[in-house]
Amino acid sequence: MQRNRPPSAQAISVLRALAADPARWRYGYDLAAEVHLKSGSLYPILVRLADRGLLETSWEPSQGSRPPRHLYRLTLAGREYVAALPAVRAGRAVPHPRNRWSEA
Amino acid sequence: MAIQVVFMMCPVGIGVALLRRYARAVPAGPAARDDVPELLLRWAAGLLSAQRAEWGQAMLGELDHIDGRSRRWRFAVGCAGAVLLLPPWGRAAAAVWAMVAVAAGATGVYAAVVVRHGLGVGGWVWGAIILVFLVSYTLAASVLLRRPAVAVPGLLGGLFVILAWLAIQRFTFAGVIAPMIAPFARLAVIGAPLLVGVAGTLWSGSAVDGRRIARLAALSAALGLYLYATIAVAVLGAGGPLQDTGWTASSIISDRLGNNVIKLLVVLPLVTATIGWAAAAATARFRPRLAAGVVSVPVTAVRVRSWRRIAYLLLLLAVLAAAVFLAVISGVSGR
Repeated sequence: MQRNRPPSAQAISVLRALAADPARWRYGYDLAAEVHLKSGSLYPILVRLADRGLLETSWEPSQGSRPPRHLYRLTLAGREYVAALPAVRAGRAVPHPRNRWSEA
Repeated sequence: MAIQVVFMMCPVGIGVALLRRYARAVPAGPAARDDVPELLLRWAAGLLSAQRAEWGQAMLGELDHIDGRSRRWRFAVGCAGAVLLLPPWGRAAAAVWAMVAVAAGATGVYAAVVVRHGLGVGGWVWGAIILVFLVSYTLAASVLLRRPAVAVPGLLGGLFVILAWLAIQRFTFAGVIAPMIAPFARLAVIGAPLLVGVAGTLWSGSAVDGRRIARLAALSAALGLYLYATIAVAVLGAGGPLQDTGWTASSIISDRLGNNVIKLLVVLPLVTATIGWAAAAATARFRPRLAAGVVSVPVTAVRVRSWRRIAYLLLLLAVLAAAVFLAVISGVSGR
């Protein structure tokens, strides 16, 4: 059911930030800083994007004894989704607050 | 006297449990900072379902590359909050909402009593304290409810403890308000969590989950019985069991509301969790196959140091000795 909900403005900003350079893998913290989101908002969005198949994840090889970092970029479906976003947003005359896709 | 002895032992039990938990924590790598934000996030990541475990590691990996105390704090607190709410909740969501409803119901009934009987500022101050208890218990229970192996037996254990307490109070509103002086009452107070701890460990096949089941039983029983007892005060008002002479109606009601807090939101969860924990640990000791289950959970990677083992065993023996002592005292005083 959640899959049919339209994305929130925050999720769209994350999608657009990732789409700016779709081939590049991004770190979570850098992404959060770029779109001015707190970690508590960013990670649930990333989880949902990955659940919808819009985001692919990977692990950066760990450096020495430091833990590995998680990397993110858009999938092909994610790129197509972002490309279609303006039309999707225009189709929503009045966004309903309960349809916030990012809410738990 | 008997309850007070158990009550005094509870902080000792909690202290030893924390020591054991610290000894069994995930071993940090050489580069790990081991500051409070990392410990907080490591704890929160451990609450994620297996399906989401990768995301906990992702947050931890990211935190390791963040410098600055305030930035690390903000990142860790934000991630911990997200972890607590992150789906999938599945059937746990229904149980959490039920707990929220019970806590909200108890708060509402308490507020109605304060307003109806004009208990004044003191009543609202106590109300604020009670709200902190109820919110804390609901949050703690929601964390446990996310574990499928713990949720059902934990809630059943809580129901069993509730029924045991109500049975010794004869399922009446007057009974729940009156002091628990019957010898059978003390046996039930000790015996119910003992059974929950043993049955929970056998059910789950793990000493760790057995202890979690005891904790969830303690929390759910505390919430349920507190709601029942608050309704009892609302229904009976200053009536019901006789009070000492010279008390006004509002002072009787205040006294009963205060007793409910001490008995059901402090003593009950502490006694139930401590005795249940000891019973779960003892069950695992007698059944090595269950104790071996401890090794399978992710947070138990380090062997407990010998002195901690001794402290733990001493506490276990003390709790069991107290249970026997109280049972004997109860039997003697009943004659």
